[in-house]
Amino acid sequence: MSTPDATAPPTAPAARRPPAWLEDLDATDLSLRLTLLTLLLRPVGSPGIRVAILALATFGLTVPSRLRHPALWATLAALTSIRVLLDWSLADNHAYLLAYWCLAITLALLARDTGACLALNARLLIGWAFALAVLWKLVLSPDYLDGRFFRVTLLTDERFADFTRLAGGLATDELGALRAFVRGDLSIDAGAPGAFPERLLAVARLATFWTVGVEAAVAVAWLSPLGRGLSFARDVLLLAFCVTTYAVATIAGFGWLLLSMGIAQCDPHRGRTRVGYLAAFGVVLAYDGLPFMRWGLDWLR
Amino acid sequence: MRPRWWWYAPVALLIAVALRQIVLTHIANLAPWSGGGFGMFASVDGWGNRHVAAFAIRSDVRRELEIPPPLREATRRLRAYPSEANAQALATALADQPTPDEGPLEAIEIQVWSTTYDPVTTAPSEGMLRSFRIPRVDP
Repeated sequence: MSTPDATAPPTAPAARRPPAWLEDLDATDLSLRLTLLTLLLRPVGSPGIRVAILALATFGLTVPSRLRHPALWATLAALTSIRVLLDWSLADNHAYLLAYWCLAITLALLARDTGACLALNARLLIGWAFALAVLWKLVLSPDYLDGRFFRVTLLTDERFADFTRLAGGLATDELGALRAFVRGDLSIDAGAPGAFPERLLAVARLATFWTVGVEAAVAVAWLSPLGRGLSFARDVLLLAFCVTTYAVATIAGFGWLLLSMGIAQCDPHRGRTRVGYLAAFGVVLAYDGLPFMRWGLDWLR
Repeated sequence: MRPRWWWYAPVALLIAVALRQIVLTHIANLAPWSGGGFGMFASVDGWGNRHVAAFAIRSDVRRELEIPPPLREATRRLRAYPSEANAQALATALADQPTPDEGPLEAIEIQVWSTTYDPVTTAPSEGMLRSFRIPRVDP
């Protein structure tokens, strides 16, 4: 009867180890590929910049030997930066974040330790972006914490229309009347607080506190030093944010960018977490392409 | 490996741009959604919730001008960031717009308005953010 070799390194039980193919996925390559895919799925910029970005993203994805070429990413960083500079006051927040991220990738590819440099930038950029979002919501904005932002936005932003009808339990004409009221087109008794359906007010309150709560948790987790504080939960929190937020807010490009960045700092031994990022990318893709809210409304009807 | 100082360039840029955005929202009415400060989805005061009114001023007549669709982009920029330069750009583009009034054009007045909402009733009300009087400069 053989006995275990006391000098052999301990091995994890087979059932608990992720499959080999999961461990073989390189976080940096995955991040770069997802970033290029994001650029292809949501082309950005004026027509000239857009064509150049699409061509470079296609090139990077289809020629693996050039995926890590600094010149490719330096050009993308320049193009995404020019796009922001040309229209800085109208560019969305994720246009800025995309430019910073392309710059971070370029610098990482020039660094001796590409993975460490990219992981550091992923943590800091995501952490600070969320920290600033929380600063705006909690301190700088005059109309977020009292629920006004979501009360108005759920009614007036067309991107939320299906969600508002579904979650708020509103018929089309009710939504139309409330919309007309907040747009100032209708002078009705809706001015009294009770005229807003209680369910809609509850949805607005929930959206208000869930959004700032999860963003604050992401900010703390991603800015905590590794191995301390909430840092152990950073992946779960970012994935939870993306899977919940982009089901409602149809700005998939921001979600894909965050996931492309997040996967770059995944611990090599946490293959399942990397698969979580890939799955979340697919989920946001599904949110973007499939009318789940409309199906929900049809089902209720 | 210890991080090198230049690894921090992207996040330094992010923070610097965000601080500039916060300052501009407070001193120059930049919309919280704009300018890379991550204020999107934090306030109703985005450029989409602002509007612009333009007036041609000739001697004693002050007539509101309709802003034509080709100037939509310039108007959006002004709504997001109501600066003198953006107002000047719009005024220059509007200067040749015909009106039924007689006399030389003295100035174009540009107003930028924002909608705010009552904290309790959510009833909307309009407030003027900035007003510019751009004198006509003959070429």
